[in-house]
Amino acid sequence: MNSRTFVFVSLVLILGLALVLSGCQVPTPPPEPAAEPEAEQAAEPEVQMGAAYKIGFAPGVTGGGAFLGEPERNVAEIIAAQLEGSGGIVGPDGVKHEVEVLIGDTETNPDVAVSVARRYIDEDEVVAVVAGSVTPISLAIAEVAEEAEVPYISMASSLAIVTDPDTGEMRPWVFKVAQSNGDVAVWQVERATALGSTSVCYLYENTGYGKDCFNNSSAALEAAGFETAYEDSFERTDTEFPQVTGVQAAGCDVVVVGAIPPGASLATIALRDAMPDIPIIHGHGVCTEDFITTAGNAADGMEMPCSPVIIAQDVPDDHPQKDVFMAFSQAYTEYTGQPVSTFGGHGWDSLGWVIGALETLPDGLTLAEQRAAVRDYIETNIKDWPGTAGVFNITPDDHYGLTEESFTWFKVEEGSFVPFPGEEW
Amino acid sequence: MELGKQSRRSTYQNVVGIIVLVVAVVAVGWLEIVQPFGLRFRDLTGGMVTFDTLIRIGIFTIVVVGLNLLMGYAGQISLGQAAFYGLGAYFSAIMTTLAIRHDVLPVMSRSWWWPWLAILGGMALTGGFAYLIGRPILRLRGNYLAMATLGVGIVLYTLFREGDNITGGSDGISGIPRLAIGEGLKLWPIERYYFLVWGVAILVIIIALNIVNSRVGRALRAIHGSEVAANVSGVNTTRSKLQILVVSAMIASLAGSLYAHFQALVAPSPFGFVASVTLVCMAAVGGLASIWGALFGVAFVFVVKEVLRARMHDLLHGAGGEHELIAYGLILILIMIFMPQGVVQGLTEIYQGWKKGRQQTTRARDKTESSPRYQLIDESN
Amino acid sequence: MRQILGSTRGRTAVLIVAIVALIVLVLLLGYRKNFGPEHYAQLAIDGIRGGSIYALIALGFVVIHSVTGIINFAQGEFVMLGAMLCVTVYHAELAALSPLSPPLKMLLAVLLAVAGTTLIGALLERFAIYPARNRRAPVVALIIITIGATIAIRAIALIIWGTRPYFVPAFTTLEMEDLTLRLGTLIIKAQSFWIWGVVAVVLVALALFFERTIMGKALRACAINRRAAQLMGINPSRMSLLAFALAAALGAVGGMVLAPATRPTYDMGLMLGLKGFVAAIMGGLLSYPGAVVGGLVLGVVENVGAGVTSAGYKDIIVFVILVLILLFRPRGFIGGGEQAVEEA
Repeated sequence: MNSRTFVFVSLVLILGLALVLSGCQVPTPPPEPAAEPEAEQAAEPEVQMGAAYKIGFAPGVTGGGAFLGEPERNVAEIIAAQLEGSGGIVGPDGVKHEVEVLIGDTETNPDVAVSVARRYIDEDEVVAVVAGSVTPISLAIAEVAEEAEVPYISMASSLAIVTDPDTGEMRPWVFKVAQSNGDVAVWQVERATALGSTSVCYLYENTGYGKDCFNNSSAALEAAGFETAYEDSFERTDTEFPQVTGVQAAGCDVVVVGAIPPGASLATIALRDAMPDIPIIHGHGVCTEDFITTAGNAADGMEMPCSPVIIAQDVPDDHPQKDVFMAFSQAYTEYTGQPVSTFGGHGWDSLGWVIGALETLPDGLTLAEQRAAVRDYIETNIKDWPGTAGVFNITPDDHYGLTEESFTWFKVEEGSFVPFPGEEW
Repeated sequence: MELGKQSRRSTYQNVVGIIVLVVAVVAVGWLEIVQPFGLRFRDLTGGMVTFDTLIRIGIFTIVVVGLNLLMGYAGQISLGQAAFYGLGAYFSAIMTTLAIRHDVLPVMSRSWWWPWLAILGGMALTGGFAYLIGRPILRLRGNYLAMATLGVGIVLYTLFREGDNITGGSDGISGIPRLAIGEGLKLWPIERYYFLVWGVAILVIIIALNIVNSRVGRALRAIHGSEVAANVSGVNTTRSKLQILVVSAMIASLAGSLYAHFQALVAPSPFGFVASVTLVCMAAVGGLASIWGALFGVAFVFVVKEVLRARMHDLLHGAGGEHELIAYGLILILIMIFMPQGVVQGLTEIYQGWKKGRQQTTRARDKTESSPRYQLIDESN
Repeated sequence: MRQILGSTRGRTAVLIVAIVALIVLVLLLGYRKNFGPEHYAQLAIDGIRGGSIYALIALGFVVIHSVTGIINFAQGEFVMLGAMLCVTVYHAELAALSPLSPPLKMLLAVLLAVAGTTLIGALLERFAIYPARNRRAPVVALIIITIGATIAIRAIALIIWGTRPYFVPAFTTLEMEDLTLRLGTLIIKAQSFWIWGVVAVVLVALALFFERTIMGKALRACAINRRAAQLMGINPSRMSLLAFALAAALGAVGGMVLAPATRPTYDMGLMLGLKGFVAAIMGGLLSYPGAVVGGLVLGVVENVGAGVTSAGYKDIIVFVILVLILLFRPRGFIGGGEQAVEEA
């Protein structure tokens, strides 16, 4: 054997061995439902251990949705650590169950997303799937979840995710936690009316989210009588903005932007450079510190609808979501050292639903029964449920559960988000 | 542009290969359906390889076999093959969903044979498109041809992404129905679809092997060696190249349709530049001029990705897709350094080298023990 | 028709007619959007800015291709690395760096970014390309190696820098806000002048390098005819290393001068690389001035085209141009192209 084959073969063998050995795990049987040793009895009452529950969590950590997926993964890690620390949850019959949160990555690729979802459902036998930071990924996973009859919660914004495309009714097994662009559009119409504008220019990013923003905003604004003077898309990675020239030439009096940072920030800077005075309204994708830091001075004066979670400390104590805001933002800033992310909040809300559902499950159910029970719980018990995105009210006809009231109107002033209530418009 | 040696296997080897493949496919499927002793396929691989993966390997094998015919044998580079794949997928998707939703041809579009008709229609459409653009483009050579195919691929991808009303834009088309034969036999759940996909894959492999070993295949290899010489020898190079481009496009379209009915959703992202490049990588890893190499290349890349995805998370806590990508990139580099002809060829060479080494050792041993008259004959070769 | 397409003169004539038709189309579309001359001017100027970056990337492609015949898919990643390294060094909080004033810090960041990326390019060549060429790998294998390198580099960048966009202050003001020059209604940011200035300096430096230094002349010799150069005693493997290092440096320069104008992210390299490649093709992949002109033209056409139609179609415009060029004039527009279109 010559040297090159030797080197290659040995490399392959070493790699292969490493991978195989790392995978050599004796399949652990579920913890036996036995009582804890008597030595503990003096300190704690006897706790029975039931079967472990697994939740499959897969945001888009890499790829186009990474900006949303990374904070969502952080939140999953926070909650997983909390569950590990407390040893799990206790069911209504006093049986304790470990809860394992499996964290994966859809790579913002529908093929990978479907593979991951199928793996969670078939191989890992999860009780629920929480996945999909963006709409096309969520649509793909929704199909799989419906067929396999597993409750699925999406963290993306489009209502199409929970709606069956053929019948127009709610998909029984699919729910979502993120605010929809339709509700954003309601606020945008109000604000544009208050500004006294007549014609609107639209700039949106060339992704599913951006286009959905545009579709909802333009539909609502046109229905309210506004004229569409100009509309165009831009790429997240654009460095030049010829669209701004088009906006200038169109002569509109308000600009509506549908994007997330960094694209939203760059577009804002370009718009401000060309037109320092024109009012600019955004969607709810820019409710993060990153938007302000990336846009710099140009961010001042930007207006957008956000969940008040971004100013958790300043929310009055009698606000129904105050406790959730404080708990979430403290946990998030402690864990990551970064300011709170509304996208991470979607992870918080969705896992909260699932864990709440698991806490009501008696011991001894089969996997199919567990899944059905979780689904039923979410559909019937999530009423006036305070989350980071809003107060949820799920019904069989509405698996989304939020209205435009989950938003508060904000303005950026001197580098921070400041609430801008309607009275001051 | 040199594209590597071509492997010519004897018909015997090919037939054996096909039989082995058929047996393997059937065995795995049977295991999953019958589940003897409660044992499922996943228990064999520790859950590392799933049926979902196997089906995707099958679908990509179909595309890459077509790509191998084009790149390995005819020597024409295509960096836009994913666009043909996408054409087939979108055509199937549009025909089977939008037709129903807009109530076009209501009786026909709901029947069981409509999706199959759509598949054939997609193949015809894609083949026709390949013919139209092939005529001007195939005049180019080497890098220039590669870039032209790249350009065509990206243009098509952008059209997929921007065609909101027809293609569903970035969100794509969802709710694609499953395939069925007759009124009763639905090709779902996943085990049944697996048989369909692999049945088609095996069929495509057999056809490709036949093409390679036929007069057309010889013409292709002549073109690959030197187009001028082939022309002079009487081979109609333009027609042969065009034929093989159309064939590879139709094969890719078929795979795309199968993908559409598997995923139940077609969005533009799997059909872009990165996808085309991945297809070329799979082809090159397996071995550009080898039909069996296509199968191996696809399987290798997929299994590596799956194993990495499953294990990276354990090895490095908190690892997401990014660590897996580094390993994937490094593995690609290593393979191309050590086995630039592709893994199939490389392994064959190792095996033959090992065999020859053993023969030489035995012969050397025999030499020292044998009678003197053999020493007169020079055994070195 | 075929006769016209057959002859070179005929093809050039068709090309000229096509260009005129395109210009008319652009004016028509712009008219529908109320574009006046100042709008076209703004689009063109912004396009030249983007085009300058494409020009730098294109030069990198030409350098590597002319010496080694490889199409380096990792070229865009060099730009990204240049930008990201600049960010990291500038924001690094090291005791040794704190006494430095911001302008000095910026200078240091720029120099280290270019040096670092050049080193990475050289390492890429030594550890990935050189062993493969030693084993006489076919060109397809080498191209796939650069693809593997792109994937790995991007993944490492993701781990180190995450998905967030970073920012580097503008060179003129050393703050987030850049100086804006207003000529009538035209808006030009100061950073654009930096970009043009840097590109001009790079071009002059390259020209001097190729004309006056031995290594430069050796590189040019490789570009003209690789085999003859080898026969004259030029070491191909050393030339390959030099080519990669030079291409990495060019990319890094583009990245660090672009960084203040945009917000660098880990995946900015892919599309930049592709478009820079189209620009290089316009010069036939072998001509340096052709690559630069190609880059500028591409930038302007892309920007103006996107302005008059819709930005979503930007990619279509660029790549339709690519296909048309390949079909009608694969040797590119300007100079070069001594090597035949069909390579033996």
